[in-house]
Amino acid sequence: MGKTADLLPGTLDMLILKAVSLKPLHGYGVLLRIRQISRDALEIPQGSLYPALYRLEHQGLIAAEWGQSDNNRRAKYYTLTAAGRRRLREETAGWNRLVSAIGAALNTTSEEV
Amino acid sequence: MFARFRSLLRALALRRDFESGMSEELSFHIEQYTEDLVRSGISRQEARRRARLEFGGMDAVKGDCREARGLLVFDELERMFHYAARQLWCNPGFTTTVILTLALAIGANTAIFSIVNALLLKSLPYAHPERMGTIYTRVTSSGGYDERHNLDGEQWELLRDNVPALISAISTRGTSGVNLQAGSQVQYLHAARISAHYLDVLALQPVLGRNFSEVEDRPQGPKTAILSYSLWRNAFGSNPDVLGESILLKGEPYMVIGVLPEAVTTPLNADLYTAIQASREGEGAGTNFEAITRLRDGATWQEADAQINRTWSLRSDRYELKDNPGAQVTYYCVPLQKAEAATLRPQVLTLMLAAGLILLIACANLAGLTLVRMMRRTPEVATRLALGASRWQIQKQFWIENLLLALVGGAVGIGVGFLALRSLLLLLPEHFLPVARVPLDGQVMAFTLAVSLLTSILFGMLPALATRQVDLRSSMSSRAVAGVGRQRLREALITGEIALTVVLLAASGLLIRTLIHLETLPPGFNPNGVMAAKASLDDARFHDPAALRKLLDESTAAMRQIPGVQDAAVGLSLPYERSAINGSLTIRKGTEAEQQVQTDEVFVTPGYFKALQIPVLLGRSFTEGDGPDAQHVAVVNQTFARKFFHDASPLGHYLDKNTLIVGVVENVAVPPGVDAGAPLTGEQAVYVPYAQMDAQLLSLVHVWFQPSWIVRTGGPVEGLTAQMQRALASVDPNLPFSGFYSMRDLLAKTLTMQRVEVALLGAMAALALLLSAVGIFALVANIVAQRTREIGIRMTLGATILKTMIDIASTGLSASALGLVLGLILCAGALRAMRSVLYGVGVYDAPTILVVILTLSAVTLLAITVPALRVARIDPAKTLREE
Repeated sequence: MGKTADLLPGTLDMLILKAVSLKPLHGYGVLLRIRQISRDALEIPQGSLYPALYRLEHQGLIAAEWGQSDNNRRAKYYTLTAAGRRRLREETAGWNRLVSAIGAALNTTSEEV
Repeated sequence: MFARFRSLLRALALRRDFESGMSEELSFHIEQYTEDLVRSGISRQEARRRARLEFGGMDAVKGDCREARGLLVFDELERMFHYAARQLWCNPGFTTTVILTLALAIGANTAIFSIVNALLLKSLPYAHPERMGTIYTRVTSSGGYDERHNLDGEQWELLRDNVPALISAISTRGTSGVNLQAGSQVQYLHAARISAHYLDVLALQPVLGRNFSEVEDRPQGPKTAILSYSLWRNAFGSNPDVLGESILLKGEPYMVIGVLPEAVTTPLNADLYTAIQASREGEGAGTNFEAITRLRDGATWQEADAQINRTWSLRSDRYELKDNPGAQVTYYCVPLQKAEAATLRPQVLTLMLAAGLILLIACANLAGLTLVRMMRRTPEVATRLALGASRWQIQKQFWIENLLLALVGGAVGIGVGFLALRSLLLLLPEHFLPVARVPLDGQVMAFTLAVSLLTSILFGMLPALATRQVDLRSSMSSRAVAGVGRQRLREALITGEIALTVVLLAASGLLIRTLIHLETLPPGFNPNGVMAAKASLDDARFHDPAALRKLLDESTAAMRQIPGVQDAAVGLSLPYERSAINGSLTIRKGTEAEQQVQTDEVFVTPGYFKALQIPVLLGRSFTEGDGPDAQHVAVVNQTFARKFFHDASPLGHYLDKNTLIVGVVENVAVPPGVDAGAPLTGEQAVYVPYAQMDAQLLSLVHVWFQPSWIVRTGGPVEGLTAQMQRALASVDPNLPFSGFYSMRDLLAKTLTMQRVEVALLGAMAALALLLSAVGIFALVANIVAQRTREIGIRMTLGATILKTMIDIASTGLSASALGLVLGLILCAGALRAMRSVLYGVGVYDAPTILVVILTLSAVTLLAITVPALRVARIDPAKTLREE
């Protein structure tokens, strides 16, 4: 297990949308998927996962449906809606802009000022 | 936005599903995690413990989830409603008073509004009622007017043929009595005559048969009839074979061509309809038709107005211009609903205003009560503030309590309103309102809900403002809760409600005085011991003058034979009844120029004055000798003599060509026919003998009006009405009476409007008085309760009970006195609006004002004294011990 990083505020929603965009997932699956795609670098506080899911569903960005889990249990599966897909695209673009701007700022040397 | 609302709604509606789904989802998570931990080699027990620990507090997570779904606000609301309900339940006295007050005030408003709704707001019960109209005339000049237009034959033909924007139809104004012979039975029915497309304008299709055709509506066209559903059921046993059959109506065969559907009404509300067959002659020579119209598809009202004005400006007889030379005359379409309700509109709106005042009074009372309650709860508020509740939370709680009260009050108010409406409709005569039903429908419910919410705001606002000033430190440390400022506020509220009560009392007082004046007007005849009934002479058998004379002579003679009957007669109209004919006559006085006068005309048989005991003041009354071939004679009333002959005797002068005035009789009270004015007047009238009337005129008059047979008895006669019917049947077995009535019934019917006004406004004034009394009572009772300790101390220090009582009462007294003065000032302005409905009493009527002052003083004193007497029961020792 490598070193885990704390989540920046506001990034949880983005990560959930990304996780769900790959494949419909139940809540626990979202947790595992984020861990997996961040190569175990991001640890989601379990208690804040579900309120975030409920909020995103309330906003119409994801949709929920009851289905069968791998071990044949009833579980609630989340999928990305069209609005969610749009939001994910915007947030990704915004994040990339932010990262490159901050990266550029932090890499500035005194000669460049 | 919409998605969020839907998600919230779904979560609210399926709250149980939401909760169980959430629990299932969260426990699934923990189980999965536990399984994964077990798989990584941890003991099951430890795994379960770790899973729960890492997940965090289950309840906290659930709370966050609910909040994410927007449910938290509703949970809080529910909690606050529960708390409010508990608070109110624990104060049954307060709660009951508030709910009863609200129920009465809201009930009164609901009842009155349901009439406003039915009359002015609800659509007429026909398809596309917004396309239905009628025509108004506006004449601009000094004697100008703006009112519903009645048509003559020429106008009708022009409207029908030259106004393509409209489907137009005409009818008689109201119904007339006719005789229907079905089998061996004869019945007196209310029939109306309508033109060919009348039912098309109403968009009604007969349930059986068809509408009148244009051929049937032509003058001298075939005689046909359309039955109402109830007549078809009652008189013809719902037999469908009646179509095409001939029925004996008005003494002639009419073919039934249609039956109207059940539960439909027309503006005429008749039992049966025949074709009007209008022409420019006879009836059509005068403006005797009422029009209704429907806008054709694609046409506009502007087009219709233009077409009507164009075609009617080409008429040969433009009488409006003759009466008002130089005036500008325009015709315009008016929605049918507005026209039908026009006469009742001001009355109904006045009542709505009165109901609104009741609501204000109730709100003032409730504001006072709530204020007291707030003051009592100051310690509670202070405690909650000290425990960290925000002022906003406390305000919210109060508002929720007010809202709950208002909603419960509104719900009870609907019940009260329903009962009030039922009794009000019982008070009204049949067909008094031009609508079939006055329902408590969704619109009324929405109004009641709005009124309830409004009241909660009105009575909650002052107390809410007052609690904003609760000072934590002083409220906690002191037990005194009454702020001087708030006491003033309560007194101001009482002053206001008393002022409004005074206005309502004075207004109803003036109406009562008007009614008494009208009911006790000298009738000019002896109304006791008279029985009357109408019969229809619109009958082929009586078009011959000799046959008619025979009927009148022999039937009155037969009635005189009834034991106990002193006299019998027939008249085209009776006292207390609007004169059937308002005609124009010329008076010839010797060599003087002829004078054209407008007057009531009454056709009578010789016994008329004697039977009604109308005193003959000059000359003679009619005799059997005043026959068709004798000198034509007339008797005038005193107003006629005074108005047109001044002090000279009218005897010996002539009316029209050759009618000699032979007598002068006392004026009798009649509703105005010539000049608008009081509901009962003694306006000019000319009496002429039935026997000398022109036969053609009589047939026409009897199409519109039914004469009354009257008998005078010395005392009660058993089976009088049956004997009158038998006496009539002995002359003509197929002539039914309409139903019997006394002169008192007739007076009551004429004064219906006044009686209804008095009853309604009187009830509201009584309600206002009751509410004010409750308000004063609560004010004084509260002062006594609050100052018990102070009173105890003062009495220990030697104050007498009486002095203390007076001291306490003075607050209530000064507030009431101020309210009374303010109310009287308000009256000076407000009551002037009533001038048009007052008769025999001025707007500033000293006796009325005196009675108002006395009533209010008595009620106020009572409401003050009862709680003030509690002072006597205060035991100084006990109050001081309690400290």
